[in-house]
Amino acid sequence: MRILLDKISHAYDGTQVLQDISLDLGKGEIVSIIGPSGCGKSTLLRMIGGLERPTSGQVLVTGAAPQGCLNPLTYIFQDFALLPWRTVAGNISLVLEDHGIRGARAREVIDDVLARTKLSDFRKAWPRQLSGGMKQRVAIARALAVRPAVMLMDEPLSALDSQTRELLMDDLVELWTRTPFSAAYVTHNLAEAVRLGHRIVVLSRRPGRIREVVTIDMPLADRPAHMAELEKIQRDLWDMMRDEAAAADRELADA
Amino acid sequence: MRDTKTEIRIPADAKPVPFRGGGFRQRRHPLLAPLVLAALLAIWWAGSATGVISPIAMPAPKDVIDAFRDLWTTGALWTNLSVSLYRLLVGWILGSLLGIAVGLMIGLFSQARASALPIVSALFPVPKIALLPLFIIWFGIGEGSKVATILFGTFFPTVISTYAGVDAVDRGLIRMGQSFGLRWSSIVRKIILPGALPAILSGFRISFSIAIVLLVAAEMIGAQHGIGAYILMAGSLFNLGQLFAGVILLSAIGLFGSWLIGLAERRMLDWRQ
Amino acid sequence: MTMTNRRALLAGLGAATAAPFVLPRRALAASDTIRVGILSLTSHAPALIAAAKGYFKEQGFEVKLVMFQAAQPMAVAIASGDIDFGMTAISGGLVSLAQKGAIRIIGGALQEHEGIEGQKILASKKAHDAGLKTPADLKGHSFGLTTAGSSFNYMADMIAKKSGFPASDMRLVPLQKVPAIIASLKSGQIDAWSIVPNIADALTKGPEVVEIGKISDYIPDYQVTTVFTSARIADTKPEIAKRYIAALSKGIDDYNNALVYKKADQAEVDAITKIIHQYVYSDQPLEKAAPRIQHGAMLCNPGAALTMSSVKSQLEWLQGANMAPKDVTLDQLVKTGYVKTL
Ligand SMILES: Nc1ncnc2c1ncn2[C@@H]1O[C@H](COP(=O)(O)OP(=O)(O)OP(=O)(O)O)[C@@H](O)[C@H]1O
Ligand SMILES: [Mg+2]
Repeated sequence: MRILLDKISHAYDGTQVLQDISLDLGKGEIVSIIGPSGCGKSTLLRMIGGLERPTSGQVLVTGAAPQGCLNPLTYIFQDFALLPWRTVAGNISLVLEDHGIRGARAREVIDDVLARTKLSDFRKAWPRQLSGGMKQRVAIARALAVRPAVMLMDEPLSALDSQTRELLMDDLVELWTRTPFSAAYVTHNLAEAVRLGHRIVVLSRRPGRIREVVTIDMPLADRPAHMAELEKIQRDLWDMMRDEAAAADRELADA
Repeated sequence: MRDTKTEIRIPADAKPVPFRGGGFRQRRHPLLAPLVLAALLAIWWAGSATGVISPIAMPAPKDVIDAFRDLWTTGALWTNLSVSLYRLLVGWILGSLLGIAVGLMIGLFSQARASALPIVSALFPVPKIALLPLFIIWFGIGEGSKVATILFGTFFPTVISTYAGVDAVDRGLIRMGQSFGLRWSSIVRKIILPGALPAILSGFRISFSIAIVLLVAAEMIGAQHGIGAYILMAGSLFNLGQLFAGVILLSAIGLFGSWLIGLAERRMLDWRQ
Repeated sequence: MTMTNRRALLAGLGAATAAPFVLPRRALAASDTIRVGILSLTSHAPALIAAAKGYFKEQGFEVKLVMFQAAQPMAVAIASGDIDFGMTAISGGLVSLAQKGAIRIIGGALQEHEGIEGQKILASKKAHDAGLKTPADLKGHSFGLTTAGSSFNYMADMIAKKSGFPASDMRLVPLQKVPAIIASLKSGQIDAWSIVPNIADALTKGPEVVEIGKISDYIPDYQVTTVFTSARIADTKPEIAKRYIAALSKGIDDYNNALVYKKADQAEVDAITKIIHQYVYSDQPLEKAAPRIQHGAMLCNPGAALTMSSVKSQLEWLQGANMAPKDVTLDQLVKTGYVKTL
């Protein structure tokens, strides 16, 4: 399944937020999206997920969803969005119930995704009992449970401390390596962008336009061994963004 | 380079840091409440026995005990309690159910909010007691007007606590439900209702107290039995012992109700701290 | 009065050092100021007339009229020392306050009397059509009351007694307030009620209510309302009680002459009506209120004479029905000597 963004533009109450965004999200490909604060990254992701309509242009999908896919476009939220009144297993079963998956079948799926996210010991825990990193792993497990074709991740690691972030990045890479999924990965963190993205889309400040698309031709699994190279890309990206970010910061301060 | 030695030399002028973190913390004092109560009872008893407390200002404890004994031996306790509890529960349960339903509608549908919320806000502060003469015409002097008084009294606060609870549900969770393609009904049942439940339950505490307050008003109309009618009659006969006995019964009902609601909270909201 | 009634209540406690929760302290009356409780009813006319025509002043009183919505709070206000004199029917509450040494009856007011309009027994049209034609048919019907132990309760029981069935064969419905009883009777939710003639006649003018009898046929010499004051005044300040009765009696005479015997000239009747209208039906224009005030006035005993036999019968009834303490004696309830007893 592929996703195509065709000349997306969007305005809120007369404020132009996104302008003329065209992008192709291929099968099994992770695209990192970076850009200054307020440039419309989250808005763009909501449009891909069908939670919001652009003022002009359209989001298209081609190709069938893979076998057994329950929710082709699946979100992972920055604030985890776990129901506090359901246990870890209950939060995962939530997204299965509406598809008629209950009882033993649900248990099978839940066991599988919890094992993949190393949470098997916590199936009965309440969200309040979990650390931030574990909560996000639960959210990832929940996303995996519906076998998504595309994962839409909006700063999934930014609420976590840097050690946990490193661990979770490794986890994501491992998950992807086992079964590649496609993803749009919005982040402020350039290290995450270069670590996880096959391509990196750099947006300008508001109204968000595509400034640059950087392709990194290196398998995800190999990247930890080539830190120096990645760091160079990261520096280039920062040079590209610095002025924009400073301008965006001033703009927000004036607003 | 690693130094695992943690021993330090303490200089002679070293003093412990003064502790400033005390107070402002509620501790348990399980004996205090009974002690205060016993002291008050003793003062009451002594005051009445010596005549310091006039029999017109307060009944003597003995009068209250006598009233309870009469209630017990004549069986009037159960007649009064059972009819009052019936009115209280039917009125409160119906008022709460209707209130939750309307509150959910207001919370979920903007049309319902635009049309019903102004009416609810306008009727909420109207003292239901002022409407008693109308209630007689509308619902009769039988059980109807009594249940209706309590029903109307509990309906409005429940509406307001329910819709406020729905409004307070994290929009992010609703977004999450939508992003996973949950059905509308599932989002309401599994996300909005449980999210609003804490507010609804704390609304219950308030509406139950209102129901008890209104019980006395409700039993002003044509009630031969009931705790409220008993209190009203004691008042008009100026029998202060019976008056206090009735008030004690009402407050016992209130305590029991709030204990039950607390139990429900601990059961249904076990996911909270 | 230089001492408060309150202080008398606080027996055993020296001065006014009582804990404030016992009873709140209110302004004390000056020695020549009396406060008289008034209900918005024609039967309170004598006090209104005495105040307006200066009869209290003649006795050296500065009078303050205090309005009440119901008789019970008025009795309690005398007990608490907020007012000094009042007028109301004998009820369980009144007797109970007398037993606690707070109030005393010192005279009589409204009285059922041969040949003069008295209280009437009413039935709803619905019940009347279904066969409730006379008070003897009341068996099995509902009867409206304000509260248990009220004069309505007494009348209902006396009707039953005279008709030869137990009062428990009627369904007595306490409705707290007269307007609520009227609403229930008009809409047929209660079957019967008894009430003073001016209210009764206003009701029977409409199609919903029918008159089925007279109270005087069931309760001869019924002393309907009484004059009462605090025990302190009655027992220790006879001077004040005597002067009050004297002033009130002049008001009673004016009231009887103008509205009951109809012996006064039109100008006097108009003047009396105007005085009463300041407190009764004051929400209506005088033209509309005047006929309601003038019609169906019951006799008020001249000289505030008290029918002891009726008071005794009412006390016995209250005690028999467990609506007043059993140990109250007639002497505790009534302080004789101020008025003629009948
Ligand atoms: N529902 C909305 N209504 C009006 N304006 C909105 C709405 N949502 C976002 N905006 C505005 O649109 C612009 C883009 O918002 P968006 O959240 O997409 O930015 P972002 O790139 O995700 O920012 P950040 O990096 O801080 O998360 C901002 O100026 C924001 O104020
Ligand atoms: Mg964002």
